[in-house]
Amino acid sequence: MALTTKSKYADNYVDPVGKSVPRIEGRGIVTGQLKYVFDVQMANMLVGKMLRSPHAHARIISIDTSKAEALPGVKAIVTAKDTYQIKFGSNEYFFPHTVDQMALESEKVRYIGDEVAAVAAVDDETADEALRLIDVKYEVLPGVFEIEEAMKPGAPQIHEALNNIALILPVNFNNPERMMKEADLVREDKFWCPVAHPSPMEPHVCVGQWETFTNKITLWSSSQAPFKCREALAKTLKMDLNDVRVIKMAVGGGFGGKLEMLPMDFAACLLSKKAGGLPVKICLTREEEFTTTRRKHGMIYKVKTGVKKDGTILAMTGEVLADGGAYCSYGPTVLAAAMMRIFMVYKIQHFKMTGYRVYTNNPISGAMRGFGGVQSGFAIESHMDLIAKDLGMDPIEFRLKNITEPNMTTVNKMILTTNGLRECIEKALVASDWANKHGKMKHLKRGLGIGIAADVMGSKMYKSHESAGAIVKVEEDGSVYFFTGAADTGQGSNTALSQIAAQELGVSFSRIKCKSGDTEITPFDTGSFASRVTFISGNASLLAGRDAKRQILEIVAKDKNLDVEEIDIRAEKVVFKKDARLIMSFDKALELCYSFHYGKQIIGRGSYNPKTTPIDFRSGEGNVSGSYGFEAQIAEVEVDTDTGVVKVLELWDAHDIGRAINPQSCEGQIEGSLAMGLGYTFYEDLRFKNGRVLNPNFAGYRVPRSIGIPKMNSIMVETNDPEGPFGAKGMGEAALLPTSAAIANAVEDAIGVRIKELPITPDKIIKALKEKQGTQ
Amino acid sequence: MLINPLTLHLPKTPLEAAKLYKELEDSKVLAGGTFLLNSMKLLKTKGTKTAKNVLSLSQVLEFRGVTVQGDTLTIKAMTRINELLESPLPEGHLNILHTVCRNISTNPIRNMATIGGNLTCRYTWTEMGAVMMALDAQMHFLGPDGKEEMILPEDFFKNAARSEKLFTHVTIPIQSSSKAAYRRVKKTIHVDVPMLAVCVKTDLKGKQWYNTRIGINNGVAFAQRDAALEAFLNQSTSAADLGEKALEHLTTAIYDTRSSDYKKHMFRVSLRTAIEEICKSS
Amino acid sequence: MQVQLTINKKQHTLNLKGNETLLEVLRDHLSLTGTKTACQETECGTCTVMINGKAVLSCITLAANVQGEEITSIEGLAEGDVLHPVQQAFIDHGSVQCGFCIPGMIMSTVALLQKNPNPTQEEIEYGLDGNICRCAGYPKIFEAVREAGKKMIK
Repeated sequence: MALTTKSKYADNYVDPVGKSVPRIEGRGIVTGQLKYVFDVQMANMLVGKMLRSPHAHARIISIDTSKAEALPGVKAIVTAKDTYQIKFGSNEYFFPHTVDQMALESEKVRYIGDEVAAVAAVDDETADEALRLIDVKYEVLPGVFEIEEAMKPGAPQIHEALNNIALILPVNFNNPERMMKEADLVREDKFWCPVAHPSPMEPHVCVGQWETFTNKITLWSSSQAPFKCREALAKTLKMDLNDVRVIKMAVGGGFGGKLEMLPMDFAACLLSKKAGGLPVKICLTREEEFTTTRRKHGMIYKVKTGVKKDGTILAMTGEVLADGGAYCSYGPTVLAAAMMRIFMVYKIQHFKMTGYRVYTNNPISGAMRGFGGVQSGFAIESHMDLIAKDLGMDPIEFRLKNITEPNMTTVNKMILTTNGLRECIEKALVASDWANKHGKMKHLKRGLGIGIAADVMGSKMYKSHESAGAIVKVEEDGSVYFFTGAADTGQGSNTALSQIAAQELGVSFSRIKCKSGDTEITPFDTGSFASRVTFISGNASLLAGRDAKRQILEIVAKDKNLDVEEIDIRAEKVVFKKDARLIMSFDKALELCYSFHYGKQIIGRGSYNPKTTPIDFRSGEGNVSGSYGFEAQIAEVEVDTDTGVVKVLELWDAHDIGRAINPQSCEGQIEGSLAMGLGYTFYEDLRFKNGRVLNPNFAGYRVPRSIGIPKMNSIMVETNDPEGPFGAKGMGEAALLPTSAAIANAVEDAIGVRIKELPITPDKIIKALKEKQGTQ
Repeated sequence: MLINPLTLHLPKTPLEAAKLYKELEDSKVLAGGTFLLNSMKLLKTKGTKTAKNVLSLSQVLEFRGVTVQGDTLTIKAMTRINELLESPLPEGHLNILHTVCRNISTNPIRNMATIGGNLTCRYTWTEMGAVMMALDAQMHFLGPDGKEEMILPEDFFKNAARSEKLFTHVTIPIQSSSKAAYRRVKKTIHVDVPMLAVCVKTDLKGKQWYNTRIGINNGVAFAQRDAALEAFLNQSTSAADLGEKALEHLTTAIYDTRSSDYKKHMFRVSLRTAIEEICKSS
Repeated sequence: MQVQLTINKKQHTLNLKGNETLLEVLRDHLSLTGTKTACQETECGTCTVMINGKAVLSCITLAANVQGEEITSIEGLAEGDVLHPVQQAFIDHGSVQCGFCIPGMIMSTVALLQKNPNPTQEEIEYGLDGNICRCAGYPKIFEAVREAGKKMIK
């Protein structure tokens, strides 16, 4: 083959990093052919359903499944007595006492929906009938549903935790009491951050299959964290990790709700075992989705800050009360994140905040996109604006005086390297025309408001490590397999990670076929959360690409008698590093590798564990992330003071993303996050009464739709992080952190009214306007 | 199976439909299906029995269409909301029908739901009833004997019982001196149906209001008229402050029933601005 | 009962009980799983198909009630390997993320553009208001609709 033969892959996708390569799954999605676990149909598949407690708090006296078992068409029923009764949770490593949930309860139920049994039957009707025939006798106990009520002595005891406090997180640095006394101005505010729900379009669904002759299980699950699910299944079923296979197919959204094993995953496997190995599919109804999966922690956020009259923040104190619901889930990490993000954004040396994660007999709170940062974003950024107003300072001036900088260590030992916060603020300022609009459009009832935020790229919050692995396997015809444990839930990680692997390997993206999220085939990855995938899994992908490249270059070097350090693969060619002179094509190099003489399999491996330290939860210290992302967001609103309706006219989000691996995907993530932020600001409010969800459906829990979406401007700031793959950071969550505050601040600018309890609804605006009129 | 077993009946003519409507036991009429089929699914999940017979009107071509003849607008029962939205209407006050349709639910629902369904199911929250009341509409029914009957909307909505005759069409008079205004407030954070809807119609003699109709939907009771406000406006002439003045002549019972402060506020804002809109255009 | 349905230009004769929704016929009887369901309460739009060119919800359509109508599901848009302009536009403009809402969103888009290939922003918003997307936040979906419309005018 001639040296200069053009490869069929010499296409637009050579050097793919930085290009908006279309999604790998794109064609499958638009033709309806991409399969989700939701679509799985198997021979002899049974329908599984969960039997749930109708009571918010009760003791289980007895469970009688005999009538249900006798029903024709019922193939298996499981209750706690069929299990090892091992508890599971999401924070075992740091807080073993928060591992508090059983897959199937046997002693107590603690919220309406708590799982007591599961059935597998030949069809829906039979499964429903079987559920009706299971006779559970309960002794109803008094329940407690409000955070502050639950903490009072004498309140109904939900677990063993004293005063229903699952966890107290104290974060203390230096001497805030003393510094507060030196402040020229002290301001105290209290905010209510309501309960939202991830509401992915694909509900939770799984298929469990027990291979009876090997006692191995396979679980297909709509999951953001297949390896976490595997770990929990192995623990609760007392199996080895290599006997549990969790397969993630296309996932129709997760947003934090699909980050852990749920009782349904466990039940599907156990039911399959009892049914002689028949596959069992459990799919939640939308009502179950709203009530029995995971929701956002509702938080009462109290904060007090002392400042000098020039705007310097001296000290901050506060208290966060989080409604945890019936079990702990990711509660501790959510609470920690809700209190510690502030150090990434503002330079604060004197700080004391205590967080309480409180049990209530409400549905379970877990991790939802933002991980506590949405709540703290609303509280802190609203609070900052109020302080600026008291000082008579422009809100941006005030922030610029106190923000963090590049290459500094925060009081809680977070090492901020690249930090584009100032640039983000300045760009957002210019793009929105802040100087000419802020404070100047009251006659039009329009206003601008700003919110700033920072985000982590992963955190060792639940396990000893959070490493990711990747494999790049180059076949002899030049096509490439790329294996990653990362879980693409729609954010485009399959595509972006493939771009990174291809870029490092030196070939076109078109060569790559990506296989992800199968615990038996792909290397370990903790999952899609904490905006970690591009950074951590990305680095693993890069290292795997580099390893594969190295193996190829070693053969070429040996064959051509060259120094392997002087050659590289770039843009489909093996070249000299110094002057880019061609040595041979990539395909020719592969021919060499697989030739009679060398016969070498090219299998590149990558493993990456960020150089971070876990949070020391006694002190609040820890460099949790290998890099930090930053953003500034400005909202322009217009208020109709007759109806109280707030219209968001435009949003600007300036985002330090390090480097955009796939610009179109980055914008897509920003826009999606902004929409979710709008939802949290205006409509999303999951309400409870005595533990019952009042609006467990899309009619009652409104999520943003096409009508009324404002113009969204994504401004990418590239700070080229030295640790990130090709300079990239992550950004799956950040854009929704400051949105509510930016809007609340804009409303104040427009009509002088401050809303401190989300969601911002027309009746609150009218009430606030009337109160304002009354006091004038 | 999402829906309980049923027998589907597909009459081809209005008379056939009217006969089946009388004769079939344990039956429901299937017009657009957006309410009926949705509720049948929901009832099944709760273990509740649902109708064994479903009478579909989809094959009766005479039940479709929006026509103008002389000074009468006729809207047939199976007209879909989007069909009415896209039908050209005579210039003047009847274009509020477009506004009403525009605000109903979502696009696919608007393609399926019908005027007939919206009127006859008598939800406490539908806006169409209040609007038809305000527009002096007449509702027409067909009996199994082929005889037609006319019922005024306010009489239809007073009586919650299932009528003996099948609803076929609504007629609305077209008068050039008529003016109308419509306001609807969504329950923004809760169920996306109207919290309230008001429709004000009047025939103007110069600036003098007469033959005023106020159709109200308060989300609690069926559509009703505000007689007190009508009486006041019929003594009034268009003026910049008429809306404000009118607020002192409300039949408060309609607006205060189970109303939050915000809802009472929005009733006042809606009525005031609707009246102001008519005043501006005269 | 024998039910004749015309789906994606093909005639199907099915033996049905009569209470099947069109959604169940598509997904369970014909294995056309492109059409999804996510709420069973008419709110999400993932079950959207076209009947006679209009976007409707298949989860509240009785299969036996739409005999003789032209039914189009997502699987009926591409011509062999050639994607419909709307499908291609959704890929090109980065409008797809998790993808679960997309079949329904595309059906609503095709119904809108077939009637009006040059819609205003308001018309686009009202045309798609029955389809919830939790991932994309809508701007790129609007972009794809506009660009596909331009291609369809030609």
